[in-house]
Amino acid sequence: MVKFTADELRRIMDYKHNIRNMSVIAHVDHGKSTLTDSLVAAAGIIAQEVAGDVRMTDTRADEAERGITIKSTGISLYYEMSDASLKSFKGERMGNEYLINLIDSPGHVDFSSEVTAALRITDGALVVVDCVEGVCVQTETVLRQALGERIRPVLTVNKMDRCFLELQVDGEEAYQTFQRVIENANVIMATYEDPLLGDVQVYPEKGTVAFSAGLHGWAFTLTNFAKMYASKFGVDESKMMERLWGENFFDPATKKWTTKNSGSPTCKRGFVQFCYEPIKQIINTCMNDQKDKLWPMLQKLGVVMKSDEKDLMGKALMKRVMQTWLPASTALLEMMIFHLPSPSTAQKYRVENLYEGPMDDAYANAIRNCDPDGPLMLYVSKMIPASDKGRFFAFGRVFSGRVSTGLKVRIMGPNYVPGEKKDLYVKSVQRTVIWMGKRQETVEDVPCGNTVALVGLDQYITKNATLTNEKEVDAHPIRAMKFSVSPVVRVAVQCKVASDLPKLVEGLKRLAKSDPMVVCSIEESGEHIIAGAGELHLEICLKDLQDDFMGGAEIIKSDPVVSFRETVLERSIRTVMSKSPNKHNRLYMEARPLEEGLAEAIDDGRIGPRDDPKVRSKILSEEFGWDKELAKKIWCFGPETTGPNMVVDMCKGVQYLNEIKDSVVAGFQWASKEGPLAEENMRGICFEVCDVVLHADAIHRGGGQVIPTARRVIYASHLTAKPRLLEPVYLVEIQAPEQALGGIYSVLNQKRGHVFEELQRPGTPLYNIKAYLPVVESFGFSSTLRAATSGQAFPQCVFDHWDMMSSDPLEAGSQAALLVTDIRKRKGLKEQMTPLSEFEDRL
Amino acid sequence: MNSESHYENDRVAEFIHRHGFTRVALQFPDELLKDSMRVVKSLREKLNSLYVEDVKLYVMADTTYGSCCVDEVGASHVNANCVIHYGHTCLSQTSTLPALFIFGKASISVSKCVTNLRNCGERIGKPILVLYGLEYAHAIQEIKEALISDVLSLCGSTSGLEPLYADIRCSVIYPPETSNSANRLELVDREVANSLAKGTNTAYGIGGLTWSLPEGRKMDDYLVFWIGLDNPAFANVVLQFNSCEIVRYDATEDCLVTNLSQQKKILNRRYYLVEKAKDANIIGILVGTLGVAGYLNMIHRIKEMITRAGKKAYTFVMGRPNPAKLANFPECDVFVFVSCAQTALLDSKEFLAPVITPFEAMVALSRGSQWTGEYVIEFSDLIASCSFEVKKQSEEARFSFLKGGYVENLDPEDDDAVEKDEILALVNVTEKALRVRDNNSLSIKKANAKSGAEYFATRSYHGLEINGDNRSPETFLIGRSGRASGYDDEKTKQGTL
Repeated sequence: MVKFTADELRRIMDYKHNIRNMSVIAHVDHGKSTLTDSLVAAAGIIAQEVAGDVRMTDTRADEAERGITIKSTGISLYYEMSDASLKSFKGERMGNEYLINLIDSPGHVDFSSEVTAALRITDGALVVVDCVEGVCVQTETVLRQALGERIRPVLTVNKMDRCFLELQVDGEEAYQTFQRVIENANVIMATYEDPLLGDVQVYPEKGTVAFSAGLHGWAFTLTNFAKMYASKFGVDESKMMERLWGENFFDPATKKWTTKNSGSPTCKRGFVQFCYEPIKQIINTCMNDQKDKLWPMLQKLGVVMKSDEKDLMGKALMKRVMQTWLPASTALLEMMIFHLPSPSTAQKYRVENLYEGPMDDAYANAIRNCDPDGPLMLYVSKMIPASDKGRFFAFGRVFSGRVSTGLKVRIMGPNYVPGEKKDLYVKSVQRTVIWMGKRQETVEDVPCGNTVALVGLDQYITKNATLTNEKEVDAHPIRAMKFSVSPVVRVAVQCKVASDLPKLVEGLKRLAKSDPMVVCSIEESGEHIIAGAGELHLEICLKDLQDDFMGGAEIIKSDPVVSFRETVLERSIRTVMSKSPNKHNRLYMEARPLEEGLAEAIDDGRIGPRDDPKVRSKILSEEFGWDKELAKKIWCFGPETTGPNMVVDMCKGVQYLNEIKDSVVAGFQWASKEGPLAEENMRGICFEVCDVVLHADAIHRGGGQVIPTARRVIYASHLTAKPRLLEPVYLVEIQAPEQALGGIYSVLNQKRGHVFEELQRPGTPLYNIKAYLPVVESFGFSSTLRAATSGQAFPQCVFDHWDMMSSDPLEAGSQAALLVTDIRKRKGLKEQMTPLSEFEDRL
Repeated sequence: MNSESHYENDRVAEFIHRHGFTRVALQFPDELLKDSMRVVKSLREKLNSLYVEDVKLYVMADTTYGSCCVDEVGASHVNANCVIHYGHTCLSQTSTLPALFIFGKASISVSKCVTNLRNCGERIGKPILVLYGLEYAHAIQEIKEALISDVLSLCGSTSGLEPLYADIRCSVIYPPETSNSANRLELVDREVANSLAKGTNTAYGIGGLTWSLPEGRKMDDYLVFWIGLDNPAFANVVLQFNSCEIVRYDATEDCLVTNLSQQKKILNRRYYLVEKAKDANIIGILVGTLGVAGYLNMIHRIKEMITRAGKKAYTFVMGRPNPAKLANFPECDVFVFVSCAQTALLDSKEFLAPVITPFEAMVALSRGSQWTGEYVIEFSDLIASCSFEVKKQSEEARFSFLKGGYVENLDPEDDDAVEKDEILALVNVTEKALRVRDNNSLSIKKANAKSGAEYFATRSYHGLEINGDNRSPETFLIGRSGRASGYDDEKTKQGTL
């Protein structure tokens, strides 16, 4: 059944020009996995008949159940192209055999980290867009990510069958829709253009756009049709391609091509005339079972059907006919092989993005040249749970050299610093494995340019790592991946049986390893917390934890917990003072909110503790209106020395101030981590040290006296500056038909969300709605929304910003005060906030 | 209750007389200090009536550590040869001096207590284990008898409900080396306890109470009925027997407290502290006792464990720790408090760095060990229970729950590494010398410092700069005057504000 063996695969791995590493990326539900199926089918791994239904790359039971992809799955495929089809291929190649290392990625925004991991180890991306829904929020996100990694995209406009069967639009209208989809995608690509990557926009007339129907397993590029018609019209193939797209019209009556619609009723756009209409005709004949008309037509097209297939009826017949006429795999493969780069091409320009070390050392050169005889450089982008519980495959890409069974490798973790021993292990690879769908095949070695899974290193790799040969001590690691989502939704878990605690701890460790986006931590109260990117993500994590990593031991999970931030609204009403425990030192402080945008700038790392003070003060004075001198007096940022709060020295002529700076900083780090309201992190506060009075004797103004005092005075100044809570807010994007809008609005209202953009997608009955929704309210949002719109609306939520809650947490009974009480209760603190009088002293 | 019987002066006088002690230290906790004169006076009379003339009595108060422990250092200042300890105690083993403990007698309504005990037993249907605060020890016999007669009168047989009572280990403690030669009489108590322990039954002890369960029974099978206040002794019971069902009978309020969720939360919190300790690089050992037997041994062992775990240990002796004292050592990421069981649990919310017990330190420091829920507080149990074996460490990176990810573990300093380090030391030094000093990053990384010296190096202030730029003498300045509560210049400023 399978048309190739592991040995065959292994053989082509050496032909670096005949390899294509690519990922399939798209918005959720645009048909990635389904389309992937037809490629897998062409390689003979699954039967042609079931392609589109199996979703081969959804290997997990829950993926099949929910109908969405959760984990990205790699699969290596082997194809042999015909000489004829490769005739016009200009690039380097060695023979007609091709190896496609394909990674199907999830489209749901909660699993964006999987996409990131997939992109890192591929060179090209097949962007799938639903022809009706068009370019959606996640399409944009993944495209941006892809271009950021210097991944060359090709586009396929998917779900063509909807056009023919569901919408039944006429040719011109369909053309306009496709044109818009492509244009929208191009707009995004142009925004993130990279000079080294060159023009990444896609053009149907150049063959970088395909039109596909994943479910029915057929697809075409304009090349297909151009070939067909080129001989008929006696023109060059490339000339024909150009005529098949854009402002080119053909009038069969006059047999003339024009660049404008001549107005005659027979004059039609080239695409409509020669591509859309024939397909439509075939489909309609099939659907209406007009077999007597069908066979001659097929014969004309040179499509031969088997006799048993001739008995099929309706949809099945249509599927079969289309699959034979325009097999998806041929069109897509051709597009990938022609237009996506081979590793050796891609690594030339990707090396700068990948390698952290100098661009002229042996490693950079080896990567650049994709040199199989160079030093090993391998990036492990994710850990895949193996079938034996608790173990993992390290899945990654060989960028140079080759990795083989038994090879001793240097494992450089994410915290490795060249020249130091931190985060560094030397271990041997037990086995090298390649992925063939649901099966894994052990191979002797894997040369550069390929994806590979390694066995036996899972203990030493945490999430991702760079591997090199044992002796290459001066190699720098490959740059760590940046993730576009952050874990904002958290649940507390505990085991039902107390003695299962070790199992839980072990399980959490494994979970953290299997998914780079999950954060397992512990609260002050001793509860274990799992944080994920969204509700769905968390749900999957909990399931994995319980079933796979804890061997089914029962766990209790709390309701989702959202973390808040504490901030201030105004400047402190007065300068507050606190005395040290020995009453001999006094600190005076005021709190004020940071200028708008400054906290975000600190988050983004534009302003931080490691800046050059001159640069920093320039940004602060020009963008945020700070005094230049003052900008040089920032003592520190916090919490964790990088957070979006700061301490600024406003004192004049105070003795011994330099001595207590460290202590005040220590007190601030402590206080900014646990604010006075509910011990949540502080955000966007500037603390100004107004004055200090210190004891003349050094021992009486030591850390012991000043650190607790600094903490108290920070709390006091916070409480006198109209403290407020910040809550996290999602940006929600919903796509739905008009009749569902009412339901969407009412659900959003009920959940404190507000819509700020509503656009109709031109040419479709669909509306695009963007809204802000507090994360707290988002739990159960998707299901409520689905219920209210009878399943027509599907939201995508991404963390967007922190929003201030207007109510005063100090005013008893207010919403914020209730919230504070809840948080304190959950954390096992005293329900009452500590009053200001505990922190502030009087002279 | 009159002070004579409360302080058991007769017994004390008899004890002094029998052992022929000549210099006796009377240790009072702060709350009983007001009675000390009366006690001394009455004791003196009692001693006189026994014709003991040359006994010197010293009153000690305001102990350096917890007042529940015998202040042996204080007592040796007056060359005392025995200590009479009054009030609440942890009954920890002393190391040099014999001590007599007078628990005091708190008032309790026996009948009410019995009613509660019986109701409780009937409701829950588990066998009951009665534990109590030492101040209620005097009433236990009465409660026992009252309960039997009560149950008899109600249902005619005692079979249904017969709680197990804990015994007081002893009210006199001898230091280990002198106990052999000392008077045999008081040793009887201990021997009884020992013989119990030697039997097939399992013996338990906590805070001076001992009991043994019949064969085949586990602690989990029992309902623990605690008579007394919600004090550290009780907290210890809750922690150590965290899997048992526990109720507390408050004798002063005459009520039964069954909701102990707050106490249970302590265990979770301690668990968090253990996780935090795993991330620590520098660990301070706080000496919280100079009396409890085995404390030196304990300190050594902990120190050894810390070094073996590749961390740095510093030992501090600072009396009773408070936030201000500990904050003087901000380089320590965590403190291990070696003290008697009842002062060991410090609520560390106010402290800059968490304070943990030796048991917790052991869980945190030995890699691969998991907390299964058991909890040991007293050293003797701890030393016995733990083999202190350091297993061959797995090389897998350690998972830190505080950082929410894997962190690389510090190398345990095996000989090999040290040797290499020495070779490389010079290289490292020269390398550092050449490195451009980045002044901005000085105050940034605290968490990475592996020793006090390293931490100090990252501080922005290193002490007086003797070689400052300006060598010329400073001009004469008029300093501040007035009192610390508000200097003269501040007063005027305040006025104008």
